[in-house]
Amino acid sequence: MNRLHVFSLLFGTAFGFLFSAAGFNQYNVIHRMLLLHYLDPFLVMGAAVAVALPLIWLLERRHWQTPLGGPFAPRRWPAERKHVLGGAVFGVGWAVTGACPGTVTAMIGTGSLLGIVTLAGVLFGIALRDAVHDTVADPLQAPRHDAPADVVMAGR
Amino acid sequence: MLHVLPNPVPWYIVGPLMGLVVAAMYAVTNRHLGVSGSYVQLVDAARHRSIEVWRLWFLGGIFIGGALVALLGESPQAGLNYGILSQHISLGALIPILFLGGCMVGIGARWAGACTSGHGLTGCSTRSTGSMTAMATFMVTAVGVTWLLHLLTGGSI
Repeated sequence: MNRLHVFSLLFGTAFGFLFSAAGFNQYNVIHRMLLLHYLDPFLVMGAAVAVALPLIWLLERRHWQTPLGGPFAPRRWPAERKHVLGGAVFGVGWAVTGACPGTVTAMIGTGSLLGIVTLAGVLFGIALRDAVHDTVADPLQAPRHDAPADVVMAGR
Repeated sequence: MLHVLPNPVPWYIVGPLMGLVVAAMYAVTNRHLGVSGSYVQLVDAARHRSIEVWRLWFLGGIFIGGALVALLGESPQAGLNYGILSQHISLGALIPILFLGGCMVGIGARWAGACTSGHGLTGCSTRSTGSMTAMATFMVTAVGVTWLLHLLTGGSI
């Protein structure tokens, strides 16, 4: 466990705590949001972006040196078809389960057994998409980006 | 459990703090906050590919964060409770429905490159046009499908 791992654990805990405190790890909350009956989750997301966006803009403008990762380099992706096609498949699953990869993790953290079923589906879906992507040439998908500096081989 | 944390904590407290976490994680680690990448690492590890270990620590943190909220507040969805879905659908039907729905979340997140956190929150904060496109698609599709289910079930779901 190095410093990057410690900070990743801390930021993960803070993030999971916050969105769970807002109720994002509950089916009923996400469902009422998607019915547009309960709009607070949109305000949470909006307020979060409203705070993070100018800070990231400022850090980039000041050529910030990050303590653990070198020169600050926020990641961006140009809009592609995969964002719409993948996004639509994701949206259907999100509507059905009321869960996304982050919220289902925290859902299980609060003692949900059925959340484990949803998570099993998420893992199966990622593996399935990878298997298809690896065997069928996919003109819609950009090449895989290799992981940055702290990569280690599986099993270590 | 302890009921000291309100459910939910108001948006004007959670939202700005969440934005601070996104920016602080970028400022300290130069890493883009997103969760689906962590599950990609698990699948990659199972296939004996190289992985980014920090993402697994991050994932462990999300789990702990959820558990802390259950400890300090409440856990309305513990055990076999899945909100109104488990009130209206039998367990035998709900399990395959959640598994297949989860599959679509996994396929879609892998396909689009990130999920509601990596695209919706962090990607929109870096002004990534692909992320904004993905998040808009997540939202429009999910709202449409939710309303379709709502109307098809006569308003019970």
